[in-house]
Amino acid sequence: MPVGRLHPISVAVRDIADIFGRMGFSIAYGPELEDEFHNFSALNVPADHPARDMQDTFWIKDRPGFVLRTHDTSVTIRCLEQMAKTGATSMRTINPGKVFRNEATDMTHEAQFYQLDGFAVAPRGEITLAHLKGTFDRFYKEYLGEGAKVRFRPSFFPFVEPGVEIDVWFEAPGKEGRWLEMAGAGMLHPSVFKNAGLDPEKVQGFAFGGGLERLLMVKYGIPDVRLFHSGDTRFVYGFDQKPI
Amino acid sequence: MKISTNWLQKYFEKPLPSAEIVADAFTFHSFEIDSIEGNVLDVKVLPNRAADCLSHRGIAKDLSAILDMPMKFDPFRGSLESFPTTDMLTVEVDSAYVLRHTGALVKGVKVGPSPAWLKEALESLGQRSINNIVDATNYIMLDLGQPMHAFDARKIVWDKETLRIAIRSAHTGEKITILTGEEYILTDDMYVIADATSGVALDIAGIKGGMASGIDEGTSDLFVSVGNYDGTLIRKVSQKLKIFTDASQRYQNRPSPELTAYGMHAILNLIKEVAGGELVGVVDVYPNKPASSLPVSVSLVRINEVLGSDFTEVEVMEVFRRLDLPLIFVNGVCTVTPSFERTDILIAEDLIEEVGRILGYDRVKPAELSGELDVDQAQFRGTEHVKDFLVERGFTEISTQSFASKGEVILANPLDKTKPALRTTLAENLKESLAKAKLHAPTTLEPNIKPKLFEVGTVFSKDGERISVETSEVVPDMPALVPDSSYVPKRYTLGLYKPFSLYPFIVRDIAFWVPDGTDVGPTRSHIVESAGPLVVRCELFDTFSKDGRTSYAFRLVFQADDRTLTDEEINTWMDLVTKAVTQKNWEVR
Repeated sequence: MPVGRLHPISVAVRDIADIFGRMGFSIAYGPELEDEFHNFSALNVPADHPARDMQDTFWIKDRPGFVLRTHDTSVTIRCLEQMAKTGATSMRTINPGKVFRNEATDMTHEAQFYQLDGFAVAPRGEITLAHLKGTFDRFYKEYLGEGAKVRFRPSFFPFVEPGVEIDVWFEAPGKEGRWLEMAGAGMLHPSVFKNAGLDPEKVQGFAFGGGLERLLMVKYGIPDVRLFHSGDTRFVYGFDQKPI
Repeated sequence: MKISTNWLQKYFEKPLPSAEIVADAFTFHSFEIDSIEGNVLDVKVLPNRAADCLSHRGIAKDLSAILDMPMKFDPFRGSLESFPTTDMLTVEVDSAYVLRHTGALVKGVKVGPSPAWLKEALESLGQRSINNIVDATNYIMLDLGQPMHAFDARKIVWDKETLRIAIRSAHTGEKITILTGEEYILTDDMYVIADATSGVALDIAGIKGGMASGIDEGTSDLFVSVGNYDGTLIRKVSQKLKIFTDASQRYQNRPSPELTAYGMHAILNLIKEVAGGELVGVVDVYPNKPASSLPVSVSLVRINEVLGSDFTEVEVMEVFRRLDLPLIFVNGVCTVTPSFERTDILIAEDLIEEVGRILGYDRVKPAELSGELDVDQAQFRGTEHVKDFLVERGFTEISTQSFASKGEVILANPLDKTKPALRTTLAENLKESLAKAKLHAPTTLEPNIKPKLFEVGTVFSKDGERISVETSEVVPDMPALVPDSSYVPKRYTLGLYKPFSLYPFIVRDIAFWVPDGTDVGPTRSHIVESAGPLVVRCELFDTFSKDGRTSYAFRLVFQADDRTLTDEEINTWMDLVTKAVTQKNWEVR
């Protein structure tokens, strides 16, 4: 009997887990149906603030204060809470998982997609923005190929300060190289540490998050994000799959 | 926000570089540029800078710092002349909503078309020119970021010689027709600018002007309203009424209330320039004056400790000189006093960001994380163990949508109204996918192989959510979904994605006798070569031997990327296949 197939997202998360694992990252999960505190308020996105407009949100009927998580950063804040509880001062995780945005879908937008979110925290002074750059430099070089390189552009996400966009230089087979916007990131905001019960005078670190499908679309030349969660086996069989 | 580099030029003595170079400067030092059309940039101003940068002045200020090009003048620096007062205007405000209101009476203006420069400035950003007064208020808002509105003072009821204005909460059921003609019925959590003499609501305060007091050619006297309103309340009202204006967008980003005075000076000067008239006086009501900006400090050591950089004291001093933010450096600690409009600078990290972005993140060199940590990927590995177990048994993993037609958790605002619930089971989607997988099986699977599917995903009940595994048929001895730190998930390389055809396929079988010992590989190649370019699969699905001969049965799948194939067309190709088989002296069964 021939073997079946893994979904390309599973294949990718295994590659990513391996690379980040060798850089000391664990893997964490959290609820998809999240409370407003962990999805927004604790991450420095207050109610009735324009920063809420950055992510169109699905709300739950008859359950005010609950949302479908708009990002996996909700897992990061839960991990930080756990650090506060256990007294840990160092932690690195990636949080791959499904997130939801209430927005019209097209070739590059889906209302539900996977994010690769994560963070690295250590005693103050140990983990800097330069480490964020080094981590992604290595990740993209291993995942996309030696030609990949990263650059930062200033940006804003309420839960980090400074905040940056991570662009990656990628040369698709047979195509000219170009810069692609891949993830948002930055140094975790002191308020986020406080909200998790940690002392920002004692710890610091970076956090990041970006669409997983987008990474695969770039790497494998997938034209339409809607293929991923269509349940269509023809998509899963659209790749030559070879065991390593 | 749309920003014209021609407009920015008025702030600079030296000519600005091209729009492309300006765009690059912003991209790497402040803002993403969504588009460039001619000399107009669409600048993506994010919420942290929306208080001061939804304006040409704010953008010019940042550009001045990035390019280290001094501004010719800055309307927010230097002291303002005080306004003449008047008792012909009174303004009462509800201080729950109004942070500050600066109002003016102007008489004797001449309403008409705007001068060419003003018209062009607005039209270059895609705004419509209306008349000199309305254009002037729009221009100052786009220039300084301070929204404002001009009323025809003679369309408002006066109390003898006095114009009495009240900014108050609306009465539930109170009606107002806005400038664009639509009528809105208000509720008591909304706020209006009203004429206090007759009590009539004139304007939805901070959101949209009213039709009844609009400016027309006959207007000679103006009530100019330059306000600042509570960002949270204005956001709620704006969302409730579904009226989103340039004004409401700016107010909800909480610009400094200090701005109204600068806005008033600018609009009074511009009205005088484009429409004449005479200022009667200004009434400034300021119930919620914020404390002046507090100095923010950060040490050089800390800056480099966060950025992982090696910036020097001199470089840091340069950054704040370029940003025009007063700085003192004492014993390695720099203390910056933010200007009133930079409401975003509150903590040390905000200063660190200014240093990082102005000097450039390209100067932050990649560093490797160090230190040994216990890596815990047990839950992940346990899940992947189950997936590998199923794949080994011929199952294919699918991923489907979490939304369903029925469920126990319902969305308040579903995107697809036919699927308002969160799935309670993976079974439904799996069944649907399986039906499709069966239809497409000839293009994905070998002959005689039936599709078997599984999905691992979250399901939701009223008691909570859990990860579930669903398989299209029962699998004995399937491992449980439990953490397993020792399992090493199988790894695969994937080739580039090959899109599947959306057109139907046609399946044909051919069986024939070959001498015993004939190799399958070359036999298959022989068939594929003769079957033409439309063959997407060709596989041996049956074989047996009898009397020194072997029967091979091949299944061919034909499909085109761009059209539906016809039986006739495929018959032609199959005739060629039969011919090719016969030529080898193989007997077709």
